[in-house]
Amino acid sequence: MNFRQKLRQTKAIKLFSSVKLAVTCLILLFILTFWGTVAQVHEGLYIAQERYFHSFFFLVLGFIPFPGGQAVMWVLFTNLSCVALVRLNYKWRNTGLIIIHFGLLLFLISGFILLRCSKEGHLTLYEGQISNLSTAYNDWELSIWEASTEGTPQKYTREITAVDTDHLKADQGVQFKQLGFLLKVKEYYRNCTAYMGGGGTGGPINASGIQRLIPVDLEKSPEKNTPGGIFSIQTPDGKNFDILFFGNETLPTSFKVGEKEYHASLRLARHQLPFPVKLIDFMMEQHPGTETPRSFKSQVAIETNGAWREKLISMNNPLRYKDYTIYQASYAIDQMGNESSTLAVVRNVGRFMPYVSTFVTFAGLVIHFLMMALNSKKKFEPPYVDPE
Amino acid sequence: MWTQNKKYTLFFAACLTALMTVAGLVSLPIASAQEICPLNTMKPKKVNSLEIFKRMPILSQGRIKPMETYAQSFLLQLSGKTSYGKESALQWFARFSFAPRTTFNDKVFLINNPEILEALKIDPEKKHRYSYQQLEQGYAKLEELARVAHSIDEKSQSVVDKELMRVYSNFEVYVRLSGAFSYGFQHPDFTINVPEVIDLLQLPKDQGSYSFYDVIDKADLLQQASDPLDKKIFKDWGETDKEVARLMNAIYFWTDHYANCPLEIIPTLDLENEQWFSPMDIIRTAFYEPALHLEVKYLRDMTLGYWSGSQLEFDIAGRAFMDSVTKRLSSKEATAVQKIPLELFYNKLMLFLWAKLFYGLAFMLFLFSLTSDKKWFYQLSLTSVLLGFIPHISALILRILIMSRPPVSNLYETFIFVGLIAVILGIILEVINKNWLGIVVSSVCGVVALFIAGKFSNDGDTMQVLVAVLNSNFWLSTHVTSITIGYAGCCVAGIMGHVYLLQAMTKPEDKKRLDVTYRNMLGILGFGLTMTFLGTTLGGIWADQSWGRFWGWDPKENGALLIILWCAIIFHARISKLINPLGFAVGCISLLTVVMWAWFGVNLLSVGLHSYGFTSGIANTLALYVIAESIFTVVAVGLLSKKGFKF
Repeated sequence: MNFRQKLRQTKAIKLFSSVKLAVTCLILLFILTFWGTVAQVHEGLYIAQERYFHSFFFLVLGFIPFPGGQAVMWVLFTNLSCVALVRLNYKWRNTGLIIIHFGLLLFLISGFILLRCSKEGHLTLYEGQISNLSTAYNDWELSIWEASTEGTPQKYTREITAVDTDHLKADQGVQFKQLGFLLKVKEYYRNCTAYMGGGGTGGPINASGIQRLIPVDLEKSPEKNTPGGIFSIQTPDGKNFDILFFGNETLPTSFKVGEKEYHASLRLARHQLPFPVKLIDFMMEQHPGTETPRSFKSQVAIETNGAWREKLISMNNPLRYKDYTIYQASYAIDQMGNESSTLAVVRNVGRFMPYVSTFVTFAGLVIHFLMMALNSKKKFEPPYVDPE
Repeated sequence: MWTQNKKYTLFFAACLTALMTVAGLVSLPIASAQEICPLNTMKPKKVNSLEIFKRMPILSQGRIKPMETYAQSFLLQLSGKTSYGKESALQWFARFSFAPRTTFNDKVFLINNPEILEALKIDPEKKHRYSYQQLEQGYAKLEELARVAHSIDEKSQSVVDKELMRVYSNFEVYVRLSGAFSYGFQHPDFTINVPEVIDLLQLPKDQGSYSFYDVIDKADLLQQASDPLDKKIFKDWGETDKEVARLMNAIYFWTDHYANCPLEIIPTLDLENEQWFSPMDIIRTAFYEPALHLEVKYLRDMTLGYWSGSQLEFDIAGRAFMDSVTKRLSSKEATAVQKIPLELFYNKLMLFLWAKLFYGLAFMLFLFSLTSDKKWFYQLSLTSVLLGFIPHISALILRILIMSRPPVSNLYETFIFVGLIAVILGIILEVINKNWLGIVVSSVCGVVALFIAGKFSNDGDTMQVLVAVLNSNFWLSTHVTSITIGYAGCCVAGIMGHVYLLQAMTKPEDKKRLDVTYRNMLGILGFGLTMTFLGTTLGGIWADQSWGRFWGWDPKENGALLIILWCAIIFHARISKLINPLGFAVGCISLLTVVMWAWFGVNLLSVGLHSYGFTSGIANTLALYVIAESIFTVVAVGLLSKKGFKF
């Protein structure tokens, strides 16, 4: 009995290296994919995606748990790894099959990496404008900065401390280490409406005069959600006070900790690009005599190592630099006739990985089915996996 | 040139001021065809050959096409047919353009919904088609109802709302198009009763009644005559003055009334914008340009030729018009115009009809062969499949040449393409096995795919322009082509699943034959899975290139994933002995439903990035298909398990 055979006898490995488990996972994934597609009609893409594909499990009718896409894919991943480890029949005639399954393993790994590491945002520029800040579509951050840095020449490079607010829950503490004080979450809602107060004292501090937040259901498209929360600030000298934030207020709320004055706001997360982007010209063409656009193009320039480099971004033809890819997303023309172009900015760390997995798996499929066709005259079909 | 330009601008400004005084008297009927004119009350003699007219380029839906294609899609759009009685679409359209009044009683408006007829107070006809004259009576109501329907959110529009808007828009287009050549007809508006004015404008004396074109052609003289009117008070106006003012008025009314006609056949001089105009819009905006002026005149001469039945006059004018237009096209437009003969050739051959006939014949021969053992049935049937394949692939190649892009950009085209690939796969199977299997697959797939494609051509022109994101030949030819080849592979496997069940039911003892079918099914499914996988992941790469994400759980992406998952499920279930050949065949049959869902079912959801195509009414057909298929499968499996087959 060799090592593989021994391992095969282990209970857990035996369970996880069964082809029947693979069939079960595939069927679950099939159901989830179909369900998640149909659900998009009523729930919108974002919520359906979170519920059916990115989750570990979700509740049907509010009480029956059902495995989510992420859980199924982890099981499938374990299953594939175990089969590859102990049961896959490593013979020349199975070359194609082996390649396919390693390609798929790579696919699952790249899926997890992309899910964790990719960052998306957008950058809207008028012709002639320069910026290096991309704004997220629906990730919010609570950002705090020292008031004294405003209006200085370093206005655009001032230190901002920010935290993601996506998973905030009541009674949770958020430490702003550099600033040296603690924020405690009293209430936080991913989507809510704000109400002005009656003018009385003792309520939370807020720049716009908001005193109350009432939670509402999440919207179909996540861009329409406006989060809000009430936090209590505990200063090192033992003082305590409440502060209220509502998404995209025009003015930041200011407060004092010790001698220093701080400004803070709840806003769509900003990602700083390591290079500034300038929009030189935006161009749009339409099919003759129709309103159907034929192409959108943005002539942009980016500063790399002190030199400006120009590049024409069009549909299907993005600008790539380092891990960043900048795409043509949309455009607008304001009342004054000024054209602005919205560029999608994506940072994908492992973006080449699906390309590799595609190639590997496809090559495996071709080899496998070609070999199958060539051997089709043989009556006996060799085993692909060793017996359990 | 500039002075002339200025002169016309001044002229129209003058027209305008003159009109303001009388404007109150003229109310503008938005959608009624022109008034009776002498020419219209008579019957045109017509010309025998419309060769020239057929080849005339026209800009429509973003592309330059021959008049014949335009005529066909227009008639199809109105009536759901490509001919009117004995007349071809082109003949009818020529009559409609040059002598619109003769078509007012032609029943060309297709109205399917009886509720609309009731609302418009029109008596229902057996053939569901109605004339302009019938519709005109209920026009005000139609407009009102269509406006209400239009204001409803698209998702909550009912079938009636959609039909109302379709009928209204057809009616509008009909009315606008009917005036396209009216500037060449003699018309009471331009009957000049004051001989001095006829002299003044240097018009031929014996005619009495003139056309809009006759008068606008003398616009210089008319303007000279009208200049002094500003300084005179109305009381002092003589007969001549009044007639001059009346003509100016009529001209203004006509230019306004016939503006924005969709018959865009004259390219403007602005080559950058690729704008084309109708003759009336040219008169309105750029009549001072000698080349354009001449082209408008040529078209008028064509109208006269059509009426007098003079083929020579018609052809000379038409040729002169085409020469003049082609001379001044941009290089891009010129390439499009050069492809017109090719498109006419394509229209003429009716290749898909031939392909359908031969595939159908091949299948009939197969059915006959079941009753007799004669060998020539087999040869004839195989020949028939090949004879169907030739026009099928030729049509596809012609479409590629005409549009300069891969032939897979709308549902119509994907059906034709999937059909072709399925036929090719069938032919390959037949070459290998020589046992009818491939012939059955080819003929069934060919007929069904082409038949369904025909259902999707109902919106007229099947060669549409593409939106920006699709306008990429590289990705269209890789991603879309491979995914559709994958669909074809899966469909063929599905058909073979049916064949397996039927073979098992009719000759359960012939294990060898069943085994051959099973093995072929395995191979084809492997091919389908490989191509679908390639197509799907290439789609991911395309998405990564244009939107920055490889996978976004978009309905269409999910549809393709479902196919891959289903294939993986049945392959793995086979390996782990969860299913036997019978179960595998049933798996392949169910795959057909999954493919249909991915191919056009998801479009029904109308969410996501891929919601293109014409899909209303598909839902019922799809549901019906699934029910029928389920019944067939359940019954077949039930019968077979009694005969000792294991699922």
